[in-house]
Amino acid sequence: MLAPSVLGCALFLIAPLVVVVVLSFHEWNFLSDPEFVGLQNYRDLGGDERAMRSIGNTFYYVLLNIPIQTVLALLLALAVNAKIKARNAFRVIYVLPWMAMPVALGVIWRWVFDPANGALNRFLDLFGVDGAAWLTDSTWAMPVVASVNIWQYTGYTMLFFLAGLQAIPGQLYEAAGVDGASKPYQFFKITLPLLKPAMLFVLITSVIGSFQVFDTIHVMTAGGPAGSTATLNYQIYLESFTQRNAGYASMLAVVLFAVIAAITLLQALFFRKRTVYDFS
Amino acid sequence: MVKRILLYLLLVAGAVVSVGPYLLTLNAAFKSKQEILTSAPWAPPENPVLSNFADVWGRYDFATFVLNSVIVAVAVTLGQLVFSTLAAYAFARLEFPGRDMLFWAYIATLMVPQIVTLVPTFVIIRELGLVDTHLGLVLPFVFGFLMPYGIFLVRQYFKTIPVSIEHAARIDGAGTFTILWRVMVPMSKPILGTLAIISFVNTWNNLLWPLIITHSEATRVITRGIAQMQSQFNQEYHLVLAASAMALLPLVVVFLTFQRHIVRSIALSGMK
Repeated sequence: MLAPSVLGCALFLIAPLVVVVVLSFHEWNFLSDPEFVGLQNYRDLGGDERAMRSIGNTFYYVLLNIPIQTVLALLLALAVNAKIKARNAFRVIYVLPWMAMPVALGVIWRWVFDPANGALNRFLDLFGVDGAAWLTDSTWAMPVVASVNIWQYTGYTMLFFLAGLQAIPGQLYEAAGVDGASKPYQFFKITLPLLKPAMLFVLITSVIGSFQVFDTIHVMTAGGPAGSTATLNYQIYLESFTQRNAGYASMLAVVLFAVIAAITLLQALFFRKRTVYDFS
Repeated sequence: MVKRILLYLLLVAGAVVSVGPYLLTLNAAFKSKQEILTSAPWAPPENPVLSNFADVWGRYDFATFVLNSVIVAVAVTLGQLVFSTLAAYAFARLEFPGRDMLFWAYIATLMVPQIVTLVPTFVIIRELGLVDTHLGLVLPFVFGFLMPYGIFLVRQYFKTIPVSIEHAARIDGAGTFTILWRVMVPMSKPILGTLAIISFVNTWNNLLWPLIITHSEATRVITRGIAQMQSQFNQEYHLVLAASAMALLPLVVVFLTFQRHIVRSIALSGMK
């Protein structure tokens, strides 16, 4: 019963994981015999400006995404959780972007942010504002790429907060209200602490997701201008499949995995303490 | 009162931003090449044309791209459902040495991004002689990129089904596969629906793997087709936007048809 899954996973999941670590100690162009070079690839990393820059770009991308997306999602969840009309319609509309094809979104965003003919600069023109060159400006390119991700996942993230909010017993707010606690006080003392499990899930999955951005960057900027949007994920793709440095790319892949594992562990430790209000 | 107005302003602003890009794209897809460049993007087309769609279907083998995407996404979804269900049952119900260790080993791989295993996976597919084939597109998705998640999702759900139901079926003479097919699967429809949706969407939208493993027109999927159009004609917005509209539309229709189920699905997928 387990056989097909174990065999398949051994071949397409476990073997690749082992091989990528082994390859990271080799130099290989996909064709000739791999040459063992020990730790050379890892030693070269520090002096590789492009790779170091791509690591910086990755953190920049994640930091642009996560705070904005998380705060917006929480705000929307609070709004949808209030007593409002057409709640289901709003919820459905917010989740709509989640399943959109990122490649198509990349194409659409390129058009919206086109410096001359794009919707955004046309709109800014109405108010006499000169829009930036967006994707061809190395300062703006990364925030624009990040905005696709924020647009796509804010509503999706909202659903997890909404589920978390609905699990908080109403009695807690009633009791706090009787004791004269203000609304902001209730938010920081009841809502936020009790949302911790939802927050942990949201942060871990959205950070891992952000580290893996590929499609939108490939279509919108291909890592440019001047390498300003090449994330580590994209750099690994370029090293392996355009430069054909399979060994060096494998080293980068191991580094990426180590970074993700470390961040996930830190988040889990940070959120380990749970708040429990016993009102039985 | 002011609070209510602010609340609805926030809600409506969120809705406009969520739907805006879809509407702008659909709107632009019906404008001629000239009109896209001269008119305001939010103005409705003055002379709606269908030529952009005809051009995409005519200049490219777009029908083949769509067919390939459908074949691959359906094959991956079916493979996911069958193999995840079998493995999930083993992890949830069967007793064998090292079971929990093996299960947690699967779960640990959930943190592994697709790109990390990409070079070895490519090499394995190459050694199997499956480069530029449909099978080469499907296999790593079923067993590599998606399987641990599927097993996790279904196993957690199976755990919530009382064992006593199974015991009753066994006393009536049902074997393991009968129990799985007649008892567990019918009782797990919500989670299997969730898994089907997630598998289909992920495969349909993925660019990275097709980009690496396919090169001929015969195996090109939509994501690759659009990425290629974009790099060939990056200023010909009328073509790439019409193609994007066609790539987005099927999932929007699926979404609106099954919206209740999908919204609940996502919540289930985050269940721990």
